[in-house]
Amino acid sequence: MNGDDEVGVASDGGNAATEGATTATASPGLLDRLLPTGFRTLFHREVLRFVRRPRNTFLPPAITNVLYFSVFGVILGGRIDSFVLDGREIEYIAFILPGLIVLGAISNAFENSSFSIFHGRWNEYIHEVLTSPLPYTSMVLAYILSSALRGLVVGIIIGLIGLLFTSVPVARPLYLVAFMLVICLLFASFGVVGGLWARDFDYLTVLNQFILRPLVFFGGVFYSLDALEGIAYTVSLFNPMVYMVNGVRYGFFGAAELPPNESLAVLSVLTLAVVALDVELFRRGYGLVD
Amino acid sequence: MTLAIRARNLVKEYDDVRALDGLDISVEAGEFFGLLGPNGAGKTTFINILVGLAHRTDGEAAVFGHDVEAEYQQARDAIGLAPQEYNVDRFFPIQEVLEHKAGYHGIPSGEATRRAEEALKTVGIYEKRDTRFDWLSGGMKRRFMLARALVSDPDLLILDEPTAGVDVQLRRDLWDVINRMNDAGTTILLTTHYIEEAERLCDRVAIMDEGCKVEEASPDELMDRGTDRITVSMGSTPATAPELNLSDVHDARIEDSDLVVTAARGSSVVPDLLRQLEAMGYTVTEVDIERASLEEVFVDMTRTGSAVEA
Repeated sequence: MNGDDEVGVASDGGNAATEGATTATASPGLLDRLLPTGFRTLFHREVLRFVRRPRNTFLPPAITNVLYFSVFGVILGGRIDSFVLDGREIEYIAFILPGLIVLGAISNAFENSSFSIFHGRWNEYIHEVLTSPLPYTSMVLAYILSSALRGLVVGIIIGLIGLLFTSVPVARPLYLVAFMLVICLLFASFGVVGGLWARDFDYLTVLNQFILRPLVFFGGVFYSLDALEGIAYTVSLFNPMVYMVNGVRYGFFGAAELPPNESLAVLSVLTLAVVALDVELFRRGYGLVD
Repeated sequence: MTLAIRARNLVKEYDDVRALDGLDISVEAGEFFGLLGPNGAGKTTFINILVGLAHRTDGEAAVFGHDVEAEYQQARDAIGLAPQEYNVDRFFPIQEVLEHKAGYHGIPSGEATRRAEEALKTVGIYEKRDTRFDWLSGGMKRRFMLARALVSDPDLLILDEPTAGVDVQLRRDLWDVINRMNDAGTTILLTTHYIEEAERLCDRVAIMDEGCKVEEASPDELMDRGTDRITVSMGSTPATAPELNLSDVHDARIEDSDLVVTAARGSSVVPDLLRQLEAMGYTVTEVDIERASLEEVFVDMTRTGSAVEA
């Protein structure tokens, strides 16, 4: 194997690589060394795929969250007492905003990578990527980063919609950014596994509806962990969503029910582990090659 | 001479099915090499191993000296593939699909656009550049598959049934493009079930059956191993075919007042045949030699009782 360096145009392929391409290969700039052309192309392709279809990618979470904020925040939320977080009183509609951002962001990050890979397998056009000289790491990172970007954009959209209904501070912006990045990357990475594992479109539905959403809903999006007692509280601590929602909530309010640094560290390690798993699955051709 | 493709004792097993059973094939750089065989012979499996769509079970496979798994980037960078099945990105117009494919090969954006346009012009569908693949006609789809294989300017062009289901004119158009590539130095690996295609285009042909190479030779050499048909018109037609004492003759019979002789290497048999007939007192007025086709040779070599492609 040739490491993860991309193969230059003029090295093997191409009978007569053009001057421009040859020059680019002969003296690659910093951008080409950090983000080689092949990786950038696949990343760009993946981003274009969801950017050009906003009615399929951005409009549904926007509408869904307008409904969430209207029903749970305004109509029901008005009847629910404010939450007290680290001594600070937070109205219910503001309390649920971080969780809704997490819900939208991870759902879209997961859906993007899982759908893109599975659809490519289903119609076999992923072969265009697999038969190219892209290193497996570049393939995986392009899928993950583009999907995480979609998750972040959806998270921002939900945040902006939330601002139409309530106002929230951003007490710890670096934590907010760090948690959002890590959870989007983590679920984009999980999406790669899902896209490789799925044998039918039903598999993706099962993953999203029967695993992802229950974990999120029981991850403290709509309630405080303080509301749980005994075994319910203990079980909740095994739900990774709890730490994600808690971390993003910490980014907004500067207060959290669980220690944010430990949460961030565990989620970061988990993300790296899943990314490594993705690369290994691609290298082995799991779900991709005979 | 550099080998564009080198496969040694290549084995591929799917559960209890042995799709490739010790395949040995060498293709020299610049060669136009044909791969023939009935359905299930292992042609597409072999191609898939070369391009990274299948893992070999055992043996060696290398492209321009690069092992297809250990040095997969170098091997794949040298290959342009036009597969039998349509596996095209349906989300984007076809020019963008080509630009993406070029980009995956490390070709910068501006150059990728230029190459995509050039490839579309080469196969004659440039005016459809903003159309998605699904909206192309069947013939245009085939042209596009070739364009996608060309866009990275590969050293090795692998064409798996590139003209399947296209009309005669388009087939000839595609042949012209492929021939120009070969003339420019590109190595071509072609699988086809149009024997005429292999006869016309290929420098050498390998015939595969049940995962093995049955034979490998030039089309002419293979056709020499077939049975030619020699039709001899004579001044007076005998009631029965004369007894011929020629080693390569398989059969002689009277058909429609002509003597019809079937023989291996017909053109070399004819002088002796004429001498024997004249010695027997016959006057030969006309001789016609109909060469065995590669198709007949192919069918003979792969006859297993099952249906064959050719």
